[in-house]
Amino acid sequence: MNKTTRAWLTGGIFGGLIALISGGLVGFLAGIIAGMVTGLLVAKHVVQRTPMEGFRRGAQNGLIAGMFVLVGQLLRGLLINPIIDPHHAGLHAVYTAALGGLVLSGLVAGLFGAVNTLPAPRNRAWSVGLIVLLVLAYPWLDQLLELRFMNEIIPVIVFVLMALGLNIVVGYAGLLDLGYAAFFAIGAYTTGLLASPHLGVNMSIWIAIWISAAVAAIFGLILGAPTLPLRGDYLAIVTLGFGEIVPIAVNNLDKLNINILGYNVVKDFDLTGGSKGLNPIGRPWLPFIGEFRADSPIPWYYLILIIMAFSIFFIMRLRDSRIGRAWMAMREDELAASSMGIDIVRTKLMAFSMGATFSGFAGAFYGSYISAIFPSSFAFDVSVMLLCMVILGGMGNITGVIVGGLIIQLADRLFLPQLSQLVQKLFEKSDIAVLKELNFASDFRVLLFGLTLVIMMNIRPEGLLPSADVRAELHSGDDDDAVVATGVKQTV
Amino acid sequence: MAPILVAQGIVKQFGGLTAVNKVDFELEAGSISSLIGPNGAGKTTFFNMITGLYVPTSGSFIFAGQKINGLRPHEVTRAGIGRTFQNIRLFAHMSARENVLVGQHTRLRTGLIGALLRPKRVRDEEAAAVTKANDLLDYVGLSRQRSSDSAKNLPYGDQRRLEIARALATDPQLLLLDEPTAGMNPQETDDLTKLIRRIRDERKITILLIEHDMKVVMGISEKVTVLDHGAKISEGLPYQVASDEQVIEAYLGKGAAAHGKSGRKSSASSPSA
Ligand SMILES: Nc1ncnc2c1ncn2[C@@H]1O[C@H](COP(=O)(O)OP(=O)(O)OP(=O)(O)O)[C@@H](O)[C@H]1O
Ligand SMILES: [Mg+2]
Repeated sequence: MNKTTRAWLTGGIFGGLIALISGGLVGFLAGIIAGMVTGLLVAKHVVQRTPMEGFRRGAQNGLIAGMFVLVGQLLRGLLINPIIDPHHAGLHAVYTAALGGLVLSGLVAGLFGAVNTLPAPRNRAWSVGLIVLLVLAYPWLDQLLELRFMNEIIPVIVFVLMALGLNIVVGYAGLLDLGYAAFFAIGAYTTGLLASPHLGVNMSIWIAIWISAAVAAIFGLILGAPTLPLRGDYLAIVTLGFGEIVPIAVNNLDKLNINILGYNVVKDFDLTGGSKGLNPIGRPWLPFIGEFRADSPIPWYYLILIIMAFSIFFIMRLRDSRIGRAWMAMREDELAASSMGIDIVRTKLMAFSMGATFSGFAGAFYGSYISAIFPSSFAFDVSVMLLCMVILGGMGNITGVIVGGLIIQLADRLFLPQLSQLVQKLFEKSDIAVLKELNFASDFRVLLFGLTLVIMMNIRPEGLLPSADVRAELHSGDDDDAVVATGVKQTV
Repeated sequence: MAPILVAQGIVKQFGGLTAVNKVDFELEAGSISSLIGPNGAGKTTFFNMITGLYVPTSGSFIFAGQKINGLRPHEVTRAGIGRTFQNIRLFAHMSARENVLVGQHTRLRTGLIGALLRPKRVRDEEAAAVTKANDLLDYVGLSRQRSSDSAKNLPYGDQRRLEIARALATDPQLLLLDEPTAGMNPQETDDLTKLIRRIRDERKITILLIEHDMKVVMGISEKVTVLDHGAKISEGLPYQVASDEQVIEAYLGKGAAAHGKSGRKSSASSPSA
């Protein structure tokens, strides 16, 4: 397939699906997303000389992608809406959003195309700048289009942050951690205990968040020290167990008894609130803004963006340092790495506890944001989902992990629920009895999710945006033969 | 000169198989020595024990006056022993330069905090490390243009050179080379032999190499040690070893020594070649 065709097709499918599933004013947003995806992909593959030319090229493809949005929007507005909601009015709004999506798609794609014609380092900087601008402007857009996605988007970013931390462990150091959510729980509960009336500590969240990250790191060390010297598969099993134990332990620590020499030192002490969880957890306070509130997500949004920016900055520094090199060398060939002077256990431990730190930090923020935490928020499927985010986007590549994380999280929190709602309504209107009985929302959500991943692993196992080396590794059939050949050569 | 490495009664057993059998061995500082022997003689196993990848069943290694068996591989490297591998083990998807930078790991100080905050000290260290990596790539004869290529995309001969550069980056006093010229054509072999000699002459690094190519062995070794079935069967100056009947027998089989015919190893492997 032609690279430009692939660009508008990818952008168009994303935008079209979003428009189809959500309908309404989301069509505008769908257009922006379609345009952004198309524009970035076109710019990546086709070099244009003048900004004008770049704009035209981007806009052309953006408009094609926009047609998908238009069609999705029209299908939704003219065919589906009348079925699920006969009293649905406002064809006018449908047309506006459809056309708006189309135009925005062309415009945004054109912008990215134009920016990419700038000389070498600046084109990248400007592309990133445009994305940052869009992200910063999102709350305004949300309000304008009355989308009310803000409350979902904040946890989305928290999870992407965690995926970035997991990427250090899995992508850089090559350690399979199946219980990563445990550190998320530890971070959240540490904050829960320190910044809530539960134990009467009521510490400021600004301090508690750092302590939470440190506690998670320490748990990482405690768990890692005995297991990391073992072979990879053992680590996977131990972390799997740890991921199961933490929520169960938290669930049962509401009647803590400690006996020493027959004396009941601690009797029925409620440490974690059991299945009722901890609540309310303190919120951040800032001068001018005051205390962050649950009903106004904007300060939270910018706070997590700032945390995200710092995290990406630090992860990039780590990656490009002596330590990052040691992680990657270890992933490539542990034996050779140790012979080049890398202390394997120490290096693994560092990656593992670094990952735990990020998870703990994210957990602390999350706990404070939703203000109440329960053991069930940290079950095994959270760990699996995080792993999927890392794998979908492309292990070892920061951009890839962010994109993969956004796709899975946005799909899981926004679009799959909307889709199941939609299908549910269609089923209810249909005449087939079996379909009416089905509860699409709870029965099929996970199935769809799993299906996406199975398809993904089959057609593009290296992830959407792989780091160069992983792609090479997974598509190196010919090279493997070469290695075998040289192996023979040597022993002759 | 005092020996830089002393091996005393080294034994290595894998289950019932004795791969190395009571080997005593001394390596003079500043020398180039060779370890030879038929396939499966235990040469690589001997290297692996020196570098801490295997723990000897019994016996001990003393390097520069310090007992090194029981140390883990990275501690041996830090103590000053660098190595290459018989089956090239580069970090295949890292660039040539990055491979050499990884080799400098123990000689660099940057820790977690340093990496995150990147103060001037760390920036300077990193810049010096990159300069040193480039110099080493030059030294072993890898062209500048290729230093950003993935190690796996380098031609075979360059991969062998890169392994040497990476080992040199650990600042070794002793360099162990496991069949450095394996798979090379005569011209490449010649160049590599010169490189090995230069490393010793210019950098004062003691070199011990395992080698099947007798032309190389005879050409650069000051001492040759022969292993067969794990045991040391001969040791001495190249020409002495080459005329040792036991050695010829080990290579060519019983009776061959008397006939002086070439045996199972065709390509310049006979010690008398
Ligand atoms: N990890 C191991 N486990 C079991 N047996 C081993 C192991 N490593 C080596 N051996 C055995 O020990 C013996 C010596 O092997 P080694 O690799 O040291 O030989 P070598 O002298 O390097 O041979 P070559 O010239 O073919 O490289 C062989 O019989 C080999 O099969
Ligand atoms: Mg060998």
